[in-house]
Amino acid sequence: MGKKRRGPSLEELLDRPWCYYCERDFDDLKILISHQKAKHFKCDNCNRRLNTAGGLSVHLSQVHKEQLTQVHNALPNRMGVDVEIFGMEGIPADVLKAHQQRVASQFQQAELDRQHATGNPPSGVSSSGGQPAKKPKLEPVSDLKKRLAEHKARRAEALAGGSSGDVTPSSAVQSTPTPSGYAQSPQIAAAQQYSYPQPYGAPPAAVTPHFSQTGSPVYSSYSPVGGQQVPGASPYTPSGYPSPFPAGLPAQPPVSYGAPPFPQQQPPQSDNRFTGLPAATNLPQRPAFAVPSVNAHEMQQMHMGHVPTTPAVSGYSNGDSAQPTEHVSTPVDNQISGAASDVASKAESISKSKKEKTKPAVRMIYNDDTFSPEEKMAQLPRYAYVPDQSTQTALSELPGNAVVGAIQESDTVIDPAH
Amino acid sequence: MTSHQYIVVSPPTDAISALKFSPDPSSARIVVSSWDKNVYLYDLRDENGRIGEGKLLQKFEHCAPVLDVCFGENENEIYTAGLDWDVRKIDLNTSEQTVLSSHEAGVRHVVYSREHNIVISASWDSTLHIHQPDAGSNPDSLPITVPLPSKPFSISATATKLIVAMASRALHIYDLKALALLTAQADGTAPGGNRVEVEPWQRRESSLKFMTRAVACMPDDAGYASSSIEGRVAVEWFDPSPESQARKYAFKCHRQTAEDGVDVVYPVNALAFHPVFGTFASGGGDGVVALWDGISKRRIRQYQKYQHSVSAVAFSASGQHLAIAVSPGFEDGHDEVPEGTVKIYVRELGETEAKGKGAK
Repeated sequence: MGKKRRGPSLEELLDRPWCYYCERDFDDLKILISHQKAKHFKCDNCNRRLNTAGGLSVHLSQVHKEQLTQVHNALPNRMGVDVEIFGMEGIPADVLKAHQQRVASQFQQAELDRQHATGNPPSGVSSSGGQPAKKPKLEPVSDLKKRLAEHKARRAEALAGGSSGDVTPSSAVQSTPTPSGYAQSPQIAAAQQYSYPQPYGAPPAAVTPHFSQTGSPVYSSYSPVGGQQVPGASPYTPSGYPSPFPAGLPAQPPVSYGAPPFPQQQPPQSDNRFTGLPAATNLPQRPAFAVPSVNAHEMQQMHMGHVPTTPAVSGYSNGDSAQPTEHVSTPVDNQISGAASDVASKAESISKSKKEKTKPAVRMIYNDDTFSPEEKMAQLPRYAYVPDQSTQTALSELPGNAVVGAIQESDTVIDPAH
Repeated sequence: MTSHQYIVVSPPTDAISALKFSPDPSSARIVVSSWDKNVYLYDLRDENGRIGEGKLLQKFEHCAPVLDVCFGENENEIYTAGLDWDVRKIDLNTSEQTVLSSHEAGVRHVVYSREHNIVISASWDSTLHIHQPDAGSNPDSLPITVPLPSKPFSISATATKLIVAMASRALHIYDLKALALLTAQADGTAPGGNRVEVEPWQRRESSLKFMTRAVACMPDDAGYASSSIEGRVAVEWFDPSPESQARKYAFKCHRQTAEDGVDVVYPVNALAFHPVFGTFASGGGDGVVALWDGISKRRIRQYQKYQHSVSAVAFSASGQHLAIAVSPGFEDGHDEVPEGTVKIYVRELGETEAKGKGAK
């Protein structure tokens, strides 16, 4: 199972080196250090980059006879010279803690925003501040079995009777916290599943209520994201959870699953609706498969999330259909920034092409040594000014006078005019 | 330490020709003259006295593009000069406009000397007109006309001197006291007797090989900086002694190296000295504004490039703000000016942002 593509996890974010003075974070400690040298520890007088504020202070006092009073470009409360910072070293514990909290809350906020951005109905229930960190979640085998059994039963029923055809749309429309219809199996399973905090181990206890709240309202719109989280949807789907999709997607042709496991698994359980664990024979291998790297939330999305939004899309293609959206969503930023830089470079190239007109070695933008740009501009028709008649007639005689040098007259003529 | 930058609201609709701060250090008013034939008066303060994007207080329409504007004795009067050949005085309280004199061509610059209470205008008709502020209203007060050897391109005044940079790289330095005296004497004399050949205090040839674009005097009256269309700035001293003259120097700036390795040279359109620190700002056709320490020959900082050519820069009287006028198409003279490209930026300078770094 590859890495989730949704961007850095909370741990990764927390692990990023960041600058004490301006709270910026960096990919690499080296970059952080060079940032600090350039932004915070640079001598204004001679551009020398020192390693620490103390170093800069000593440099200033020794070389320039100046006193360092504050660190440049620092946040107002971080300007102090007395804290010795180098890279990530020397950051006071309380500041570090505050930073981590900030990162965590930002991360959650971002999650929440993304949910909104992707069109999630802003249900009050799901206002619990986004998702916690994604963690590989292991479901207890018993859960899996149960769920699987239910799914299979569901699908079997769907395939057999097509009855869920009615159910699906209604549930799709609902998208309430507890969709009844097809959600029966996944939803219930999910609810059950999420009610066990222990198996997830890592996530805090708070996770559980969160999921139980956000789970269902989120998934519908969240689906693309969910999909993109699991780039390997294809390997994952057929092996571990083939059933949930069909359960939710009665309309889709099983072919779309493509994966052989599907047909294999399905028939035997067709009659075993709600019978608990008849499918157990297939089960043991599952936990070993893709399951671990998918958290409960995603799991839920995988099960049902896509159905409401893209009923026509096959479960298998969920992964595929989601991937494009993912490609759209992340590259959109790139495209925007790319476009911006395009524009910039284009503008530059335009201005450069303008310069091409002048001689090659040194190109002067303005190359007329006798007429100033203003004089040239003044000659443009749109700036043309025709003095009023009286003045004009008087002036028409002036040039002659001026040339001859009988200058007194000119002013005589003009001044009375005003 | 970061400096704030504001974009002044309701900017002129056409290229900006000049931008000046009020002489009152406690004031945040600026006047802007534009090719759209208007002079704009802004107050950068909002109701709470905070400097920001400001508001447009008044707009004075002229019959032709306005090329220069300056404040007079106080911030309630301004003088304007433009392509209508007139030099005007505008009372900002009453909006009353008085024509002080008319040149025989477009008037490029106008400066007011507080110390001598005279208004000097420089026109492409190769003359200076020197007025007393009551000229135009008082029939006895007539301006004198000082002929120049060439077209003036830029003028700047200190407490005692007036520098006129002209075509053919000529540069005259006049003693303002003499000019003021002559103007006072011209009062009451018969019209026609007011063309006065004045011998400048110094005649110089520009240290720059190309057309002078701007001159600006040091606030301590010791010297001046001049810039040319060929991306260069010269710093010189008034003192004619060889020692002082040996200190003069010039440096390249406002250039960019194109991808093909060619040096692209922009005109340096604007110069302005900081009233407190004596450093100066230059604004170029490349849209860059840089702060320089003319004494220690260092660049203090360079601001991020603006989208278009910088046509004027000005420091506030308190030295806490730097206003930057950005207009497109200033150099080649034929570009259209698309809407929204003319902008006035006001930078709030950090305490030491414009301070020289001191000699090493």
